[in-house]
Amino acid sequence: MKISVLAFGLMTATALSSQALADKLDDIIASGTLRCAVVLDFPPMGARDASNNPIGFDVDYCNDLAKALGVTAEIVETPFPERIPALMSGRVDVGVASTSDTLERAKTVGMTVPYFAFEMAVTANDKSGVKSFEDMKGKTVGATAGTFEAIALEKSVKEWGAGEFRPYQTQADVFLALSQGQIDATVSTSTVAQANVKTGKFPGISVVGKAPYDIDYVSLFTNREEYGLINYLNLFINQQVRTGRYAELYKKWVGGDLPSLSVNGVYR
Amino acid sequence: MFSTALTWSDLAFLAQGAGMTLAVTAVSVAAGTVLGILFGIIRFQFGPYWSAPLTFALDIFRSVPLLIQLVLGNALQSIAKMGWPPFTTSCVVLSLYTAAYCTEIVRGGIDSVPVNTRRAARSLGMSWWQDMRYIVAPLAIRVSLPSWIGLTLGVMKDSALVLWLGLIELLRASQILVTRLQEPLFILLLCGAIYFVISLPIARFGRYLEERWSPND
Repeated sequence: MKISVLAFGLMTATALSSQALADKLDDIIASGTLRCAVVLDFPPMGARDASNNPIGFDVDYCNDLAKALGVTAEIVETPFPERIPALMSGRVDVGVASTSDTLERAKTVGMTVPYFAFEMAVTANDKSGVKSFEDMKGKTVGATAGTFEAIALEKSVKEWGAGEFRPYQTQADVFLALSQGQIDATVSTSTVAQANVKTGKFPGISVVGKAPYDIDYVSLFTNREEYGLINYLNLFINQQVRTGRYAELYKKWVGGDLPSLSVNGVYR
Repeated sequence: MFSTALTWSDLAFLAQGAGMTLAVTAVSVAAGTVLGILFGIIRFQFGPYWSAPLTFALDIFRSVPLLIQLVLGNALQSIAKMGWPPFTTSCVVLSLYTAAYCTEIVRGGIDSVPVNTRRAARSLGMSWWQDMRYIVAPLAIRVSLPSWIGLTLGVMKDSALVLWLGLIELLRASQILVTRLQEPLFILLLCGAIYFVISLPIARFGRYLEERWSPND
């Protein structure tokens, strides 16, 4: 009688402690489903196709991750401000949601190494003769008023002391003005530039190069205490680049020059 | 002329959303009504003094906005590591919310049965259960039905708030289409029309029952 009670107690204790030892990586594999937070109103990273199924770079990235783990992927749509709350309330396992790796966010969630980088790209009218960022000196340039790139570009124009800067209300206005030759070149996020050139609505423009402005690195994220999972995610991102899958997805969804995910002169 | 990018598959997507709205409503109203009847009887039977804790708890569910209840409920289940999917969380919170209102409806219904009628039943030798089943229930249901139908319709529309937990119901489905197609006015009109279409039969059915059960009023 006493022994059986003791044995039962031991068994319960083992069951409880082993449950506590299983980390999130084990939980995901055991559950057979990987739930990713993805922003679906942010093409080409996340969007919905004509039959309202999720598509985009982030969606494919989540599917790849699920495949690597040997589980099925579940895309959980989260608007930008809901990404981290969704993780904290346990609705998702991992965020694959174009999340900038700010130090402020890293206080709440665990960030991986960057898996994507939003670079600033120069788009020029083909007749303007602008072939690089330096060629913009002395030309008439424009961007969407108030954005990060517009502020940086206006500053550059002032430094050059030549040329003119024109602000526009929307991104579409900028590309329309560029296509009509009102401005010679513009600076915008590479994904936006490629997407607009691809639509064919703006003839006579092309992406000519990168602008030397701050790059927006984005990371996957999960609970900050889940080192096992974060390790796995870091290795996964490394493998995506190594195997060429990153380049493949970039070509499929964005196009143009592949942004480097490493920062010169520092580890991580 | 009017033209839209909305396709049949988008309509099917909206219909799926409407299905989710109906599912959440059905589960919540069913569970909420059962709980409401139970709580209502307890409140009536035990009197205001002994049922004060229950009354207080139900008052919380009646006075805190539903959205806050949903967000707090979701946070609670995640802190307690219950691992509920959003559908379960939504249904549990909505059921309690429905139960809180239903309790008052049931209590009011039982209250409306004349005490003398019940005394007469008991003096004929009926047990408490028989009195409840054959005297109180038929009279109370007649009185309570209109408010209960109103509650059901209210819960159906309030269920739109579960989109906050990531459930794709009718309103969320319309929002997704608005994001993709940029035709807010038309899509939201359509969404409103669907709400109307699914509410109307319930309202009509309530009216029909009311008329059938009170032929002499």
